[in-house]
Amino acid sequence: MPLNDADLVARILVDDDHHAFAELVRNHQSTVRGLLRQLVRHDVTLADDLAQETFLRAYKNIRSFRGEAKFSTWLYRIAYNCFREEARKRKELVGIDETQLETQADPHTVDPALKHDLMHALQLLPLHERSAILLCCQNGLSHDEAARVLDIPLGTVKTNVLRGREKLKKTLAEWGPA
Amino acid sequence: MDEHLQEDWLDARLRDEAPYIDDAGFTARVIQNLPTRRFRFFREAILLCMTLLASAVTYTVSDGAHFLVAAVNRLASMPLLFICLVAICCTTLITAIAAGAAFSKARGESLG
Repeated sequence: MPLNDADLVARILVDDDHHAFAELVRNHQSTVRGLLRQLVRHDVTLADDLAQETFLRAYKNIRSFRGEAKFSTWLYRIAYNCFREEARKRKELVGIDETQLETQADPHTVDPALKHDLMHALQLLPLHERSAILLCCQNGLSHDEAARVLDIPLGTVKTNVLRGREKLKKTLAEWGPA
Repeated sequence: MDEHLQEDWLDARLRDEAPYIDDAGFTARVIQNLPTRRFRFFREAILLCMTLLASAVTYTVSDGAHFLVAAVNRLASMPLLFICLVAICCTTLITAIAAGAAFSKARGESLG
């Protein structure tokens, strides 16, 4: 019978079991890497570097996981923090910020071949709405869990999800019947 | 289309269109970069040293553990029956604690 996340965490805490940690990485790598790819707008190499950093931090700080939240929620929070730190660093080094990235992604200038691609429509959303949509709608987190991951008030998460959904629907409608 | 149905449809599509990302050596790379276990051994070595140091201090402060010799002498002067009763009680207590711990562990594993 496969062990659940809590059992695997217990094994890491008691025996420093690398096999148990490998099992945790295998179980969550796809969702964490997927989330980071969406956050960094499909820069696969950067997303994978951030995912690796996420799991290394998770391993080093495994004692701070108290089991109050789901392990995946805890991981998403680390991943989001890694992403934020990287974005801040990039902004300082190259002067790229989210506003610039948003103007590059104008719905009227996108490749027509991508027009019916929902994932591409997602990329057109501003970061705060995109993150909320990714966590709540795609990864199935509750608004409360997403608020903890993003470290913002619950009401803000609800607003961001609502606005993000509206924009997604509008963009898809503009692109024609889905 | 009804508002809620449209939201459900959107969420379902978002979930469906999120591709499963193949591991392709990712887990192996993470495990390879994990910190080595020497810190754990270092921690155990510190604990051992502290225990030895504490024992040495206790031995010195208690005048060569004289209190232990006195306790053994006092025990030796007690009736044999009393010593046997104390020994049986201690054994029963330790066995009960060990059995309880083993039962609790076995129960935890079967639930996991």
